[in-house]
Amino acid sequence: MATPVMMPKVGISVETCILTKWHKQKGDAVKAGEVLFTYETDKSTLDEAAPVDGTLLATFFAEDDVVPVMVNVAVIGNEGENIAEFAPAGEADEAPAAAPAAEAAPAAEAAPAAAAPVAEAKPREGFIAVSPRARVLAEKLGVDVRLATPTGAEGRVCENDIRTLAANGPVATKAAAGAFAGEAGTGIGGKFSTADIGKAAPAAAEAAAPAAAAPAYVDEKMPGIRKVIAKTMTTSLTTIPQLTHTTTFDATEIMGYRKKLKANAEALGLPNITVTDLIIYAVSRVLAKEEHRALNANLIDGDTMRYFTDVNIGLAVDTPRGLMVPTIVAANKMSLVEISEAAKELANACKKGDISPDKLSGASFTISNVGAFGIESFTPVINPPQTGILGVNSVMTRVREKDGQISTYQAMGLSLTYDHRALDGVPASKFLVDLKAMLENITILLAK
Amino acid sequence: MPKSMYVDPAEQFKKRKIKFKDIEVCAYDKTVADEKKNYSKEDLLGIYADMLAIREFESMLQTIKVNGNYNNKDFTYPGPSHLGIGEEATAVGQAYCLGVNDFIFGTHRSHHEVIAKGFSAIKKLSDDELNKIMEEYRNGETLKMVKEFSTATNAKDLAKDFFIFGLMTELFAKDCGFSRGLGGSMHAFFLPFGIFPNNAIVGGSGPIAAGVALFKKCNKKDGIVVANAGDGAAGRGPVFEAMNFAAMDQYTQLWEDGYNKGGLPIIFNFNNNHYGMGGQTRGETMAYGDLARLSAISEKQMEAERINGWNPLAVIDAYKRKIKAIKEGKGPILLDVVTYRIGGHSTSDVFSYRTPEETEAWKALDPIVTFPKQLLEAGVATEAELKAVEEAAAARNRRVFDVASDLTKCPYTDYEKNPHFLEDLMFSNQRVPKMEDRPVEYLEKKEDNERVKKIATLSRYYLDKNGKPVPKMKAYNIRDGLFEAIIDKYYEDPTLIAYGEDVRYWNGAFAVYRGLSEAMPYHRLFNSPISESAIIGTAVGYGMAGGRALVELMYGDFIGCAGDELFNQLAKWQSMSAGGLKMPVVVRIAVGAKYGAQHSQDWTSMCAHIPGLKVVFPVTPYDAKGMLATALNGTDPVLFFESQRIYDMPEMFVESGVPTESYEIPFGEAAIRKEGKDLTILTIGATLYRALDAAKILEEQYGISCEVIDARSIVPFNYETVLESVKKTGKILLASDACTRGSILNDIAQNITSMAFDYLDAPPAIVGAQNWITPAFEYDKEFFPQPSWFVDAVNEKLIPIPGYVSKKDYTNGENMRKQKKGV
Repeated sequence: MATPVMMPKVGISVETCILTKWHKQKGDAVKAGEVLFTYETDKSTLDEAAPVDGTLLATFFAEDDVVPVMVNVAVIGNEGENIAEFAPAGEADEAPAAAPAAEAAPAAEAAPAAAAPVAEAKPREGFIAVSPRARVLAEKLGVDVRLATPTGAEGRVCENDIRTLAANGPVATKAAAGAFAGEAGTGIGGKFSTADIGKAAPAAAEAAAPAAAAPAYVDEKMPGIRKVIAKTMTTSLTTIPQLTHTTTFDATEIMGYRKKLKANAEALGLPNITVTDLIIYAVSRVLAKEEHRALNANLIDGDTMRYFTDVNIGLAVDTPRGLMVPTIVAANKMSLVEISEAAKELANACKKGDISPDKLSGASFTISNVGAFGIESFTPVINPPQTGILGVNSVMTRVREKDGQISTYQAMGLSLTYDHRALDGVPASKFLVDLKAMLENITILLAK
Repeated sequence: MPKSMYVDPAEQFKKRKIKFKDIEVCAYDKTVADEKKNYSKEDLLGIYADMLAIREFESMLQTIKVNGNYNNKDFTYPGPSHLGIGEEATAVGQAYCLGVNDFIFGTHRSHHEVIAKGFSAIKKLSDDELNKIMEEYRNGETLKMVKEFSTATNAKDLAKDFFIFGLMTELFAKDCGFSRGLGGSMHAFFLPFGIFPNNAIVGGSGPIAAGVALFKKCNKKDGIVVANAGDGAAGRGPVFEAMNFAAMDQYTQLWEDGYNKGGLPIIFNFNNNHYGMGGQTRGETMAYGDLARLSAISEKQMEAERINGWNPLAVIDAYKRKIKAIKEGKGPILLDVVTYRIGGHSTSDVFSYRTPEETEAWKALDPIVTFPKQLLEAGVATEAELKAVEEAAAARNRRVFDVASDLTKCPYTDYEKNPHFLEDLMFSNQRVPKMEDRPVEYLEKKEDNERVKKIATLSRYYLDKNGKPVPKMKAYNIRDGLFEAIIDKYYEDPTLIAYGEDVRYWNGAFAVYRGLSEAMPYHRLFNSPISESAIIGTAVGYGMAGGRALVELMYGDFIGCAGDELFNQLAKWQSMSAGGLKMPVVVRIAVGAKYGAQHSQDWTSMCAHIPGLKVVFPVTPYDAKGMLATALNGTDPVLFFESQRIYDMPEMFVESGVPTESYEIPFGEAAIRKEGKDLTILTIGATLYRALDAAKILEEQYGISCEVIDARSIVPFNYETVLESVKKTGKILLASDACTRGSILNDIAQNITSMAFDYLDAPPAIVGAQNWITPAFEYDKEFFPQPSWFVDAVNEKLIPIPGYVSKKDYTNGENMRKQKKGV
């Protein structure tokens, strides 16, 4: 009995993934545990290993295809085994010709209309009868039910119609992408999604540029993560009236405390607690105060403030694939050690690229520390729909005068960007004042 | 009819006269003075005290209902109050003679009978026995509450406080009531004192009481049963059925030695207060003139008498003689006890039907007034002594009332804290393989039974070793499965009895019982009269008394004849007694097909509607045996439906064949008969086989793969199996032979829609019978679901089949047209 391999569901909210690379080709021998293919969610890149030994008998999707989760993408087994039963309904045409997969689904026979030219597809108007099962599936696949040709009982759009549409319709597949060549989709990985339906297709695809001996430049498609970052940053800066307040605080105490922790880490069995950990700790306590709730919030649809009960800190992490922001949930309820451990675990998972997409969402406020690079001040960009982000800058030596005496001290810079729609300059400044006081008296705060 | 009894035509045509015996009317006319030497002072004062206890209790309810106040405390309750004011002497005289093992049944108006019997039992039980009963009842919780307010210095007085407290709180629907308030005024009872449930259905106790008497007879238990009823109940068919059932000839003419001494040990005690609510029985609503004439029901005439129910000594005189007569084998007995209710039918009665003069004339003879006068005149007691008795009765009632009416001391059941309180009482869900542990009686050893030997030669799977179908005559079938479950239980549970119409010799109309007449004596297997009310009602009593009964309704259509017994009695007593009673009663009901409108109806839906009944419908030999075994091991009432279409159906699903040993199949679990992926078909009953035929057509001709599931049980029903299937296929068709309107299929479809809405690719389709009468068998295909109907419904409602044209119209428009027309 051959074994199917599915596109895994790697997070509650993940419905589709891009199959980015096949590591094995049809006909290759594979061993259990060997990487079979690499896929990408809108936030991570992950590898899927072969579940069993055998021969890769079939692959139902090509590289760069968008694949719904829990749908079979390949079959491993012995040569000659029937693979038809594993073929996903809409991809039957990619199965070997000998396997009559389409015949196994009788309802499909009654659906010739589904193959109508994509460019002519027009959404039906008015009330459309859609079975609950078909509606759920359409949402899952990102398919517009108005484009489906109903073949179900009583003129209803049924499950099979959605599968047919998903396979042949103006969404997601290579055939569909070709019809819209040149025009970028807005779905994950630049694929066409329902949002693109209705946009005019270009009259014809541009001819390829003439070949040259030494190209002056190379065009490379951005990887999925880069595109997500691009989109998020554009949205943030084009839709949010945001501004940045900068201040510094006396870092003497925090640096001294960290030094002590470091010196005694081994003896006390403590992890390596960083300045960032201490700042997360302080921020989580300050944000938990009622008067700063506007910064521990999301602004939804421009008119609704979602105030969070706990403080969920998004931590900006630099990875080889780009910026990722995992979330430390309910940091306000965690001890310093717990925060430190959570931050490390999340950062490592981001760097390895195997973080669960569920851990990349749900933050109420973000912290980005670029102090290690000697940055003295910068303007962090808000990660929407959050209302604030705190940039942490490098430590500088400053002078101060007291009773006629000039002395030096270590000052650390803080840059708070906030959404002016959510709060005004004064409350934002007050937050910095409170935070500054906390950080300058961190040991007292820790005693609480 | 057994062949041993010859119906001689010469005898039948012989010229003769039928003679009736004279019936004594109010023959006893003695007073206290006449009987002084035969009673102790304590006895006579005790009779008065018990009558007073009743009068005080009932007067309390009267004043609560009318004035909202008793003993200077404002209080009322919304429940019913049918009072026995005026009928005290009747009840006390009866109870005086009854032992603790003599059981009484009552009516909506039975507080007086309950109190009289309770106090009688308290007098007859030893202090140790009383203390044990009180300590064991609800683990002593009630006793603890009573001890807090009781002034008693001895066990008997404490027991009286305990008893009135349990009764009164039951009426007030308090959690500490004898049935946790679930019975109330019309259903109060207390088994340890020999008080069985009273019944709010007029005449409802008749068959049930006969069933308890049947239990006493079949299991050689001591004591008699008294079925108290009003004169109005004499108009109820089930009462006639019960009297005939209790007096059947076969007890003396056919039953074996040791079981053939007379009819059932029961007194049908009609407390004749002259009114059935407002209708006057004599002169208006009945034809009997004297109720005692109904004794003509049996050949030798039921031993009957009309007695003065207002003289407790007359009632005692009669009861002493009647109990003796029963012991001599002269039961059943009929008593027409003349009495009068001084108050109304209920407290809302405005007396539109009788004059004040009439009431006054009776009041002048009120035993509560005349009996103490006799005690005084006969020198039995002094005025001071009588006064002391009166004060003691009133003080007890007030003492109990103060606590019973207190919401803090006696709260209502807290459904918020205990939301499953009543839910958990609907079924007892116990497994008790034998109701009593003693040897079973039989006529031959099980292994010597011819049917058992015959079954041993049958193939227990429908295919032979070579995969060829076994001829039907050589295949083990549903009939055999039922027989094996029954005979296994017969040799295990000594209390198991089975009866119904034509179960002996004829072997049941469908030969399920073949072989059992040779194996079982009459008192364990007998033919009942054609009295469905009595068949079910006596089974209720038999189960209530502690036995296990397997009874049969030959056709499901006869459910209507036993409607009250099935739906109000069998279904309700476990929960109305707050778990105090068990109901190990299995009713086999055969669903017909061939005999037209009154012999072909599948009424499972109607039965499933009534809370408290388990309803199952197995359709394979394996299920028939396993599910009947489950039913017969349980303690809940089971309506066990069978289809007459398929009694000869062999086992087609369990390849290893039907096991020879006993096994059980849990109720509620549906069985997947065939796996598939495009469509789920859920069937109830014999439609399974037509569904399988339809699945074959759909699959072979149209490439639609069907998963066929047999519901097997209707109540309870675990949706998991069918939901899992629907989540896979997205489409479901439900089928049964019941008329479509109001069919349980609609209920199941609604639940599936609700539980798996987002998985459905089409609304569930229902294939049921037409909403017509069932025509003759020649038109069977016009009325009952056929394989082609399944395909038509699939095409119209679930999966359009290219090129297929449905013959039967399953469109919404057609459905609306029919619904509008009421068909």
